[in-house]
Amino acid sequence: MAIEISRIIENWVPNNSKVIDFGCGDGSLLFKLKKDKNVLGYGVEINDEKIISCLEKGVSVVKQDIDMGLDEFESLNFDISIMARSIQCLKEPSLALNKMLNLSKECVVTLPNLGYWRCRINLAMGRMPVTPDLPSSWHETENIHLCTINDFEKLCDDESITIKQKVFLNPNGKEGIMSSMNPNFYATEGVYLLEKK
Amino acid sequence: MKVETKIINFEEGIKLENGSKLNSFELIVEMYAELNEDKSNAILLCHAFSGNHHAAGKNSEGLIGWWDQLVGPGKAINTDKYFVVCCNNLGGCSGSSGPASKNPSTGEIYGSSFPQVSVIDWVNSQKMLTDRLGISRWHFVAGGSLGGMQALQWSVSYPDYVSKAGVFAAAAKSSTQNIALNEVAREAIRKDPNFLNGEYISKGVKPKDGIKTARMLGHITYLSEENMNQRFGRKFQDADSKISGEVDFEVENYLQYKGEKFSESFDANSYIIMTKAMDNYDFAKDDDALRKSLKNIKASLLIIGFYSDWLYPPERGKDIQIAAIKENINSSYVVLEGEQGHDSFLFKTKKYENTIRKFIES
Repeated sequence: MAIEISRIIENWVPNNSKVIDFGCGDGSLLFKLKKDKNVLGYGVEINDEKIISCLEKGVSVVKQDIDMGLDEFESLNFDISIMARSIQCLKEPSLALNKMLNLSKECVVTLPNLGYWRCRINLAMGRMPVTPDLPSSWHETENIHLCTINDFEKLCDDESITIKQKVFLNPNGKEGIMSSMNPNFYATEGVYLLEKK
Repeated sequence: MKVETKIINFEEGIKLENGSKLNSFELIVEMYAELNEDKSNAILLCHAFSGNHHAAGKNSEGLIGWWDQLVGPGKAINTDKYFVVCCNNLGGCSGSSGPASKNPSTGEIYGSSFPQVSVIDWVNSQKMLTDRLGISRWHFVAGGSLGGMQALQWSVSYPDYVSKAGVFAAAAKSSTQNIALNEVAREAIRKDPNFLNGEYISKGVKPKDGIKTARMLGHITYLSEENMNQRFGRKFQDADSKISGEVDFEVENYLQYKGEKFSESFDANSYIIMTKAMDNYDFAKDDDALRKSLKNIKASLLIIGFYSDWLYPPERGKDIQIAAIKENINSSYVVLEGEQGHDSFLFKTKKYENTIRKFIES
């Protein structure tokens, strides 16, 4: 995960909180949150090699396919749940979003922006977007539910989800002036802190 | 690897969960490698139902330890770094006090009078062993199946003594099906004409047929259907390697061979006691009680299940982890491929080995 994103997320995660990270990868974010914020963290991951990397870091992890549902994590008293760059890979993103807000007070979601101008040029040329940020071709990508920043914010509105904070990143993974001014056109990634209305 | 085997006598005796008392008892222990100066590198292994203290390496009889694939120099449980201890459980028949040993108070063989021990009793007796060895904290306590139940119980009974616990191919309790299968095995033993209500040793006989049948059933439950298909299929046994004339298929020969071998070495009363201990184990009656019991745990848990295990399916391990998360316990749950059904916990695969190694060494 880009350093900038983990820094942003870290700012939003309260000290000593109980955190669950869906699609936690090698556990780097949870490791950092544990070290810097003394969180009690759990990762959810399906890839065995990544699970082993979590264990190596002393990060607690559950092997589970998040597409199979998040029901069992309900009522476990999480303060905050995180889903970084995974929601667009799920079969039912809006269901997952609501589940995350059921099982924790707040949730952090990051997602790639299909409205980014280079994606638009690709589409204008008649091809599916392939950018440094979305490097896989249409038949190889895991991203089955890509959306634009505007699409995502509309979904939040429709689902009565409050956007408490948001940060937009440019292709360098930084908060640029352009990407903040017109994120739907210039941002490659949106980082959101959400809660239920 | 330095190996030391010794019998330790506990003259102080032990009060058992069922209210009875053993006035004194012995545990046979195998120890690998060496305890470091600050005694921080000790690992305790808990054996499964038919296992014993011989966990790793080759013993004087040429037998390979039950967890040799994972325990030894450079292995997942690395004896280059860790001091590893494994004892035969109370009630067993490999050198620790059990139904086949003499009752020191009477000088007679215990036989059926040996008290019913439990997982909690085993953990308590292992705690006495821990004190005797001068160890104040295990870096890792682990086991598979019934051994996994002990590892879990250790982290609850003695939270300050366990840094990490490995609960593999296990559950917080045996299922109805587990109990049912064990009862068929016990019935085979009890109905052997040589069982004589458990007093066979004093009469100079052994209920071998009963133990054999029980073990044959056991072996079916330890394997997965797929694994049996792959290993044996419907192949016929070669005429010259048949264990008896009644055998047609390879699978029959395999079960006959395994059952026969086991019946020579295992004690029938131990079989009954060990399976009863497994059946009786009920870490917590329901989900609420499970969470309450887990509350005290200070250790980090590593729970591993295997897809092909139908005897203790991986979901039972996950139940423990979900309850542990609710109680803010550091716990990880991993489910792995493993082809050998319930027995998968005994066999090394690259992922299994790495999962354990990284967890221990983190």
